[in-house]
Amino acid sequence: MQEYLNKGIKEVIKQFPPVADILNEYDIGCVPCSVGTCLLKDIVQIHNLSPEHEQSLMAKISRVISPGQEIPAQAEQPARKEKPETEIKEIKYSPPVKKLVEEHVLIKCWIALIPAVIKNMNLESPEGRQLIMDGVDFIRSYADKYHHAKEEDILFKYFDANLDIIKVMYEDHETGRAHVRAIVEGVNKKDKKSVAEHLLAYQELLTGHIKKEDEILYPWLDRQLTTTQIGEMFAKFNETDLKFGQAPKKYEEFVNKIATDYSD
Amino acid sequence: MAEFEGCPGSRMADFRGKDEGGGDAPAGKVASQLRQWPIQMHLISPMAPYYQGADVLLSADCVAYAFGGFHPEFLSAKGGSTSGGKGKAIGIACPKLDEGQDVYVEKIKSWIEDAKINTLTVLIMQVPCCMGLLQLAKQAAESAKRKVPIKYIVVGVQGEILKEEWV
Ligand SMILES: [Fe+2]
Ligand SMILES: [Fe+2]
Repeated sequence: MQEYLNKGIKEVIKQFPPVADILNEYDIGCVPCSVGTCLLKDIVQIHNLSPEHEQSLMAKISRVISPGQEIPAQAEQPARKEKPETEIKEIKYSPPVKKLVEEHVLIKCWIALIPAVIKNMNLESPEGRQLIMDGVDFIRSYADKYHHAKEEDILFKYFDANLDIIKVMYEDHETGRAHVRAIVEGVNKKDKKSVAEHLLAYQELLTGHIKKEDEILYPWLDRQLTTTQIGEMFAKFNETDLKFGQAPKKYEEFVNKIATDYSD
Repeated sequence: MAEFEGCPGSRMADFRGKDEGGGDAPAGKVASQLRQWPIQMHLISPMAPYYQGADVLLSADCVAYAFGGFHPEFLSAKGGSTSGGKGKAIGIACPKLDEGQDVYVEKIKSWIEDAKINTLTVLIMQVPCCMGLLQLAKQAAESAKRKVPIKYIVVGVQGEILKEEWV
C-alpha cells in the first residue's frame, strides 16, 4: 500500500479500477482528470477530509490494493455523500479568494445561457454573428483577461508551477482559449455546427473547472497562504480592478441582458 | 447551578487542576518578538513607521495572558498556524473597560487609510463583550476609503484558539 501513496492517481486507477469508484464515493473527482499525475497521498491531503473519513477512505483503498494486509478501519465512516446535510460545512474563503469565487458567478451565468444562445443562433445575419462575438468578447475579456489573469498572474504565482493541481488549471485555461479560437473561426465561416460544438465544449469545460476551483483548489490554496500573502494578494486584485475600471460592470449588464432576452 | 451567573466576562473559573507543574510549557527564557513601543491604543500613533504596510494585530488585553504562546504564535515572523508572514505590529485595548473608544475607531481607520496596513487581525477572548473590539474594527473599516482583509481569532479562557475567520 505504502508504495502506491507515491504513485500518480491515473496509474493507480489503471492498475486497480475499483479505486475510481471509491474516490467518486468521497466526491474526489480525480477520475475524469486529464492529467492525473497527482500522487495518491497528495490527493487525500488536498481534499481535506475529516480524519475519520480519510481513514475509512484509505482503508477502502488498501483493501483493493493490498487485500489481506489492509489498514484497519476502527469505526468505518460512511462516505461524504451519505453524511447528513447539516454536516457539510460552508466554505469560508479569505477576502481575495472570495472575490474570485464571486467572479465565477457571472461566468457561470453566461455559460448557463449557452444552450439558449445555440438554439437561437443565426450566423447568416450580421446581428446574429455579432451576438456570438459579444459572447466571445465576454469570455476573452472578463473570464480570461480579467479573471484568469488574476489566477495565473497573481494567485498561482504564490505556488510551485509544477504542482499538478495548478498544471491542470493552466491546461483548462488553455483548452478554453482553443475553444474560443474555434468559435471565432466558426463564426467567420458561418459554420453553425462547429460554433455550437465548441460553445458546448466550453460550457462543459468551465463548469467543471469552476467547481474544481471553488470546492477544492481555492480552499486548499487558502490554507497554504500566510496572512501577509493574503493582504498582498488583496491589494494586487484591487490594482487589477482599478485598471479594468467600469469594464466588469459592462459585462455584468451584457450577461443580464442576454438572460432577460432568453428568459421567455 | 444558580439561575443567574452574571456577566460571562467576569464569571469566576478555576483551572488549577489542569496541567499542574507547568504542563508542556518550554523551560527557560522565551525571546520577545515585540517590535515596537508603545502598544496601548490610546498611546500609539497610527503613523508610526512600524505600522506602514504592516500586518497589524489588534489584540484585546486579556489575550496575551490567556494564550500561552502569544509571541511565537501571533507576533513572530515565522508565526504559528494562525499567522505567518513578516511579523506583526500591534495595538492593544479592552473593549469592555476602556474609555474614549471613538479614538480607537479613528486610529484603526488611520491604520487602514494612512499607514496603508496590509491586513488587520483582531484577537479577542471568547467572552461576549470582547466582540466589541471586532465591532470597532469593522466600524473603522467601513468608514475607511481603502479596504484591507480583516481576520478575527477567538481565544478561549484556557488559552485555546476557538475560531479563526476572515470577516
Ligand atoms: Fe481558473
Ligand atoms: Fe476561476
